[in-house]
Amino acid sequence: MSLVTDSPVHSSSSDDFAAFLDAELDSKSSDSSPNEEGAKGEFDSDSSDSSTNEEAENDSDTENQRIKRSRVEKLENLEDPKRSTSNGSLEQNLGASSSKDACIHPGSFGDMCILCGQKLNEETGVTFGYIHKGLRLGNDEIMRLRNTDVKNLLCHKKLYLVLDLDHTLLNSTQLMHMTLEEEYLKSQIDSLQDVSNGSLFMLDFMHMMTKLRPFVRTFLKEASQMFEMYIYTMGDRAYALEMAKLLDPRREYFNARVISRDDGTQRNQKGLDIVLGQESAVLILDDTETAWTKHKDNLILMERYHFFASSCHQFGFNCKSLSELKSDESDSDGALASVLKVLRKIHHMFFDELVDNLDGRDVRQVLKTVRKDVLKGCKIVFSRVFPTQFQAENHHLWKMAEQLGATCSRELDPSVTHVVSQKLGPRSLVGL
Amino acid sequence: MFFHIVLERNMQLHPRYFGRNLRDNLVSKLMKDVEGTCSGRHGFVVAITGIENIGKGLIRDGTGFVTFPVKYQCVVFRPFKGEILEAVVTMVNKMGFFAEAGPVQIFVSNHLIPDDMEFQSGDMPNYTTSDGSVKIQKDSEVRLKIIGTRVDATEIFCIGTIKDDFLGVINDPATA
Repeated sequence: MSLVTDSPVHSSSSDDFAAFLDAELDSKSSDSSPNEEGAKGEFDSDSSDSSTNEEAENDSDTENQRIKRSRVEKLENLEDPKRSTSNGSLEQNLGASSSKDACIHPGSFGDMCILCGQKLNEETGVTFGYIHKGLRLGNDEIMRLRNTDVKNLLCHKKLYLVLDLDHTLLNSTQLMHMTLEEEYLKSQIDSLQDVSNGSLFMLDFMHMMTKLRPFVRTFLKEASQMFEMYIYTMGDRAYALEMAKLLDPRREYFNARVISRDDGTQRNQKGLDIVLGQESAVLILDDTETAWTKHKDNLILMERYHFFASSCHQFGFNCKSLSELKSDESDSDGALASVLKVLRKIHHMFFDELVDNLDGRDVRQVLKTVRKDVLKGCKIVFSRVFPTQFQAENHHLWKMAEQLGATCSRELDPSVTHVVSQKLGPRSLVGL
Repeated sequence: MFFHIVLERNMQLHPRYFGRNLRDNLVSKLMKDVEGTCSGRHGFVVAITGIENIGKGLIRDGTGFVTFPVKYQCVVFRPFKGEILEAVVTMVNKMGFFAEAGPVQIFVSNHLIPDDMEFQSGDMPNYTTSDGSVKIQKDSEVRLKIIGTRVDATEIFCIGTIKDDFLGVINDPATA
């Protein structure tokens, strides 16, 4: 491995070590001492010959300059024969350099190609700032990584799970928005030193309080055995990292997979483009459907967790919040527990029941099938729910019921099992 | 690679620092300003080792600040393309691994990791050979070659490779 093959374009940019050394040795020809000379002589052992012995003996400036010049010449002479005697290898070198020039530039780190080190100016691909600052990957590379990674995960019987934070796994409130009835909470906070057992935390430096949803720790532990998990929140990065520290103090569930709104490619929309997993193997758990318009088929909508009063007010509810009522969601019977059962069912169906090849499986199909099981066998009639002139089949409730496996009809007949109605009135229910 | 060089800088000093401790104030201000910074030409200034010369101060018109040209010796660290460095691994993921050699952040992509090393995910992600003999994980020490560098005001980024002879893990933290 010689210097020649390594630098096919003999660059004189200060980036290249060999060129830099040459330049420095040339320029510092005036200040030298015998010791320095000897050291330099050893360093340049390639051109070792009788001249190095002479250097040790002589001490005058002119002598040094002559030696320096001869040393540089010797180096060039060494390089020249290598170039001229083997034209074949030169062509090989050119060939090698041209294949290096045809580098596909799979991605960049700090504006340099990660494969060849060249400076890149174009801005293609997706930035992965949440993994490490300055990392950017091209679309081909992302596809390649997704393919290899999904094969790896499927071998370990795991899928991907993207989790939202606010109102899904926890509920946060700003300290100034807390009501008088919530003041008692300030005396019940858990210590930030030992996070693994606590659920109510006060983050003074961020001026907020956070309550983790009941069952969340068990949920994360069980889900991590079936899924590789990501956090994807619409909060900023500092908030996302703090919450990750509370949920995952030992960095075993999420590691560096914490995505915040600063990392997304589109404002106000979440996307799977910055998740390094195949879309056919990703499940999303979120309380907001509008954030995932492009990936509705992967989404499992969660019931919102309103612990603090400010959260209730934000969504227009005038009732008292869980904190004001001094109660909480049930641990074993709450939303997280039920969604865990659903996730288990999907996981089981995906890996154990599907007959076809691993490559062809799609978790979205499995999700559709599981959804259809919910209202299986039900026949629903809607009464006073749709406006009179409205085309009933286009209403979102009708569509939702059909998605969940029910059959809907506009008329009452003996096979109807459920009636969905707005309010009881004299003309609503006819002869059941 | 580390170098011990002489650099020059024009330091501006507010008149409140004049007096008996003028020189000390100037030196401490210099240290505060320069140590830990980066420049494209010299790299990362690690520490100032001595002051060679402080020139005559020039009073600026209108402000009263005085500018002193200071020549100082310092140790700088600058990575070069083609240089071989030892670094400590800080993060391992499916794209490759990140390592640190002092203030320098180096990324080694999985394209430049030998083909016989595979990524293993888990709570301690790592790259392992098929027979399990060599493992790269967080806190392993590796010897790598720099193939590209970029310097900005506060940080130096490098791209590295371990796909050549004599490169790779030096010290396994598990067995150390």
